[in-house]
Amino acid sequence: MLMQIRGVRKSFQDNTVLRDVNMDLDRGNVVVILGPSGSGKTTFLRCLNFLEQADAGSMELDGVKLDLSKASSKEIAGVRKKTAFVFQNYNLFANKTALENVTLGLTAGRGMAKDEARKIGLRALRKVGLAERADYYPSQLSGGQQQRVGIARAIAVRPDVVLFDEPTSALDPELVGEVLQVMRSLAEEGMTMIVVTHEMKFAREVASHVIFMADGVVVEEGTSEEFFTNPQQERTKKFLKRILPETYEDPAVRI
Amino acid sequence: MELDYEFMARTFGEVWKGAGVTLSLTVLSLLLAFLPAFYLAVLRIRGNSSSSRLAALYVSFVRGTPIILQILLLYSLLPSLIHAVLKAAGSSINIFETIDPFWYAVVVFALNTTALLTEVFRSALLSIPKGQLEAGLSIGLSEVQTYLRVIIPQALVVALPAICNITVNLIKGTSLAFLMTVKDVMALGKIAASYGYNYIEAYLDVFLVYLVLCTLVQWSYHFAERRLGAFRGNA
Repeated sequence: MLMQIRGVRKSFQDNTVLRDVNMDLDRGNVVVILGPSGSGKTTFLRCLNFLEQADAGSMELDGVKLDLSKASSKEIAGVRKKTAFVFQNYNLFANKTALENVTLGLTAGRGMAKDEARKIGLRALRKVGLAERADYYPSQLSGGQQQRVGIARAIAVRPDVVLFDEPTSALDPELVGEVLQVMRSLAEEGMTMIVVTHEMKFAREVASHVIFMADGVVVEEGTSEEFFTNPQQERTKKFLKRILPETYEDPAVRI
Repeated sequence: MELDYEFMARTFGEVWKGAGVTLSLTVLSLLLAFLPAFYLAVLRIRGNSSSSRLAALYVSFVRGTPIILQILLLYSLLPSLIHAVLKAAGSSINIFETIDPFWYAVVVFALNTTALLTEVFRSALLSIPKGQLEAGLSIGLSEVQTYLRVIIPQALVVALPAICNITVNLIKGTSLAFLMTVKDVMALGKIAASYGYNYIEAYLDVFLVYLVLCTLVQWSYHFAERRLGAFRGNA
């Protein structure tokens, strides 16, 4: 077991966002988290990387156990070295070129020599199909390209897990495909991923495991096959009907 | 009315000699103000409520009082204060003779500029999306590293037009230093004029010198902004 999450709770003031969320993750798994907006998916993901501090919960990552609510800064740094995050709004460093965005975590974050970082950075950019854009600034790239640089930045540090927070939600529809394609090929290479998304087709085809969250709890989970073909919970069925009416709604007129 | 052009040309060269004092007063005040202002800006953004309020109080005090009053007050207060301290310490140094008034002017303008720069830095830092800080943390950078390599370089570019504004205002503001008997451009102009009552000619000279200085400064800031802001792709 690569990652084991138990009992995550989180409130913002008197608004409870997560109540007792658990998750297990094996190496090479692609876990997709689905759910209506406001269900706590993103907050859960952010808690895993300490971008939010959970009120309670524990994490075991690669044999290291820690308390999500009171981890020391050293423990937090340790988790961040083993995970990487892909943001909804890309969050590229605006004053750095695509290549520098990818290598900064290697040089400044991990003390790697510049030449070696450059090699790894270019390899990561090649993987997302942007090697020829290495010297472009984020402002000179399209949204889809920026997000691909964001993914290259995440995989360059060789994380055990990559966390994707709605990586395609901010993109124009015609740019979604290129980003999903990159994520698909990463999954095929065996990269361990946790993906919060609304892309149902992607979830269905790429996920090894699907988690459905609503109101801060996991309502249903299972393999992608089980989840999409035979949902058990009423809540899940309703959600799928709303998102994919053509698949789950009974046709008005049977032919 | 006849202008004495010959006097004007001669005085123009004379007044220029004060440009060094004016510029060094400006540059020193800016440099001295830079780090404290940055620190106060960070306190305003991230400090606890009392330190943030203290910083805000300082800013509003300086902004809320005329600079001429600050000059007169400090110029009367500071030398006597230092004198009293030295005397209490048993020193016989005559502070009124040993310290060039230039340094009192530096103190006044540095204190003033600190307050103005604090607000500039605060708004510039706030203009950089927080997501970039999170991105830095997520790839294993420390908060300080992310600030130094990502946030501050961008914030400085955002701040440049406002810093240019402050610099130009400071150049003009230092003309009040003649009140402290500092021999800057303004003071030299007044002195030259007083011999033969050629005030209009002398003031026109002073006017031109300030215009040239300020224009040069604005050009250099513009150039710096284009270079440092190249990443924004709209230079």
